[in-house]
Amino acid sequence: MSARLLALWLKESIALLRDRHGLLALFIMPTIFILVMTLALRDSFTPGARIDASYALVDLDQSASSAALSKRLSKAASFNRIDHAGNLDAARAAVLAGRLNLALVVPPGFGERLLTPGGADGKPAEPLTLLLDPALSPALQLAFRNQVMAALGGVRADELTHKAGKLFGLPVAPGASADKDWPDEIRSEAVRRDSNASLPSSVQQNVPAWLIFAMFFVVIPISSIFIIERQHGTLQRLRAMGLPFRLVLAGKLLPFFVVNQVQALLMVLVGMYLVPLFGSEALQLPSTPALLLAWWAVSAAVSLAAVAWALLIASLAKTSEQATIVGGVGNILMGAIGGIMVPKFIMPAAMQQLAALSPMAWALEGFHTVMLRHGGLTDVLPSIMQLLAFSLLSLVAAVWLNRRALAARS
Amino acid sequence: MLVVDGVSYRYRDAASPALQGISLHIPAGGIYGLLGPNGAGKTTLISLLAGLLTAADGKIALHGQPLATARAANPRAIALVPQDYAFYPMLTVTENLRFFAGILGLSGAALKTQIDSAIAFARLEQVVAKRAGELSGGLRRRLNLAIGLLGQPQLLLLDEPTVGVDPQSRHFLLESIAALPAAGTTVIYTSHYMEEVEAICQQIAIIDQGKVLTEGRLADILASPEPVLDITLDRELPADIATRHTASASGELKYALKLASTAELPRLLDELAVTGCGVRQLSFGQHDLEQVFMRLTNRSLRD
Repeated sequence: MSARLLALWLKESIALLRDRHGLLALFIMPTIFILVMTLALRDSFTPGARIDASYALVDLDQSASSAALSKRLSKAASFNRIDHAGNLDAARAAVLAGRLNLALVVPPGFGERLLTPGGADGKPAEPLTLLLDPALSPALQLAFRNQVMAALGGVRADELTHKAGKLFGLPVAPGASADKDWPDEIRSEAVRRDSNASLPSSVQQNVPAWLIFAMFFVVIPISSIFIIERQHGTLQRLRAMGLPFRLVLAGKLLPFFVVNQVQALLMVLVGMYLVPLFGSEALQLPSTPALLLAWWAVSAAVSLAAVAWALLIASLAKTSEQATIVGGVGNILMGAIGGIMVPKFIMPAAMQQLAALSPMAWALEGFHTVMLRHGGLTDVLPSIMQLLAFSLLSLVAAVWLNRRALAARS
Repeated sequence: MLVVDGVSYRYRDAASPALQGISLHIPAGGIYGLLGPNGAGKTTLISLLAGLLTAADGKIALHGQPLATARAANPRAIALVPQDYAFYPMLTVTENLRFFAGILGLSGAALKTQIDSAIAFARLEQVVAKRAGELSGGLRRRLNLAIGLLGQPQLLLLDEPTVGVDPQSRHFLLESIAALPAAGTTVIYTSHYMEEVEAICQQIAIIDQGKVLTEGRLADILASPEPVLDITLDRELPADIATRHTASASGELKYALKLASTAELPRLLDELAVTGCGVRQLSFGQHDLEQVFMRLTNRSLRD
């Protein structure tokens, strides 16, 4: 048995090493995806990160209050401030030309009416005006409005405090400032097993996601070799040599399992050492042996699922072209609905429910359980069981399809 | 000795059986030719002998043992060389041989000896490091054959082993195959090339539509039991002559006429001349396999 399996493993390994397209799909594609997507989505995973949308403040009031508002907005520092729009027309032209995404116009009399917005003198207060680039996402428009409202509230509170102090003759401490900086009143905390972990970053989301995607791409080399074997009569010859089909399958499982594990190692190294060279945060693997074991268990289950899926596609397809199309499109669909290409939390509720059907989503959930929530083996067990069930069903279907094909020929 | 006794086989959903009660006696240590047109049932019979199919009826025995028992006792006893190039184009010649030798359970010195021997037999020394997919048609056929010889089989099943090769490679392959019985291998050789079968086989069976039309020593089959004149006329053969000589039509104005003896030939030609039948072509004497097949089926082997 062992000599036969060794021969099968060696053959698969040599064939894979000579399959340049297969290697490209397995190793280069995920490296590029990890780099590009980690950098592209870096800010989406960083709370308080600078938002790549610009705004200008057009101060037509030039009062102390408008200056305080301007200062508070600058301190928020989420949006990119550009101070070249001196007047309303220039601001409007800049938004129209796409140089600015937003322009906040502070009307004349803003300072005077700061505490009497309803118009105590009978005249209604002129509101702040927000000039918008219509292409700016509604979420960012809302975020900026909220920042302005928060800054406005702060300026009003400062003004009230100042006036109340004066009214009641309260002493003002030396060096005290009306626009005092308050410490952050909201602190974000990622909920996980241990307490000393930081928030997930783009690289921690993207490395496992694209690793899973790449692992499932073993469908290309596996089906390519399998279909050659079938079309050239090599499977028949192997049968005539007394080689059972289950051994043919076993001969493919181990080499590609090893390939998947090499992929996992390389993608982790890409996340740890290559991604930081491009200015993003380095991937952090779990630090304890128990968590590393859980991580590897998920990786092993993903690998079994990927190889079994590839064998099913190879058994279904009649030509290499069919296998490439069915396997490739199948992987892209599983990735699209499984939160690989678009993070699941961005999806609407219905799509998130659909994601639960994708083996890639189960795999990603497993990796996230270890990497983000620092869960152990028992925590990743549901994901592993789902993946193993998928593997088993795919293998049974592959064997059944091959038996059926054989029966049709006989 | 391989005995095929009343074997039938029908493919699923096929209108007619591929083999109908085939019986053959294949002696050990020679080359046995299975001749027949495409679709005659040759590959089905080879698949049954290789264990790829199981006969619905009948028995197959190798050296007195049921085929399955004989294969179980010695898995390398029977080797198949399929019509397709059944190896890995991305692997080199040596890698292919090493792989198939491994599948046969060979290892260590035995593996090396068998690979070297197969390479030498098929004269593949110059291309051992070349990928199989880059070989010419003739070299691929040689590699296909070499793989079949790795296990030193007692029975080698060759299914159309010369299809698609140039004349030089065909000649080499036929020479190589002809040398196999001397090494103790019995060869079953299927082909629809009569000249190949005539060149290397000692025993043959002609199969058509799943039935054995004739089986025996090639020389006996070629030697007609009664002289037959194959003749092409310029007009229809007169009915009385046709009846007297049990004529069979083998084409337009082509006839095979049985004669009682060779001496009858001049008399028949005179008679034809008297009736106004002009002779365009005639042959008399030992038949070739094409003529034998035509006589048996009224069809050309290549139809």
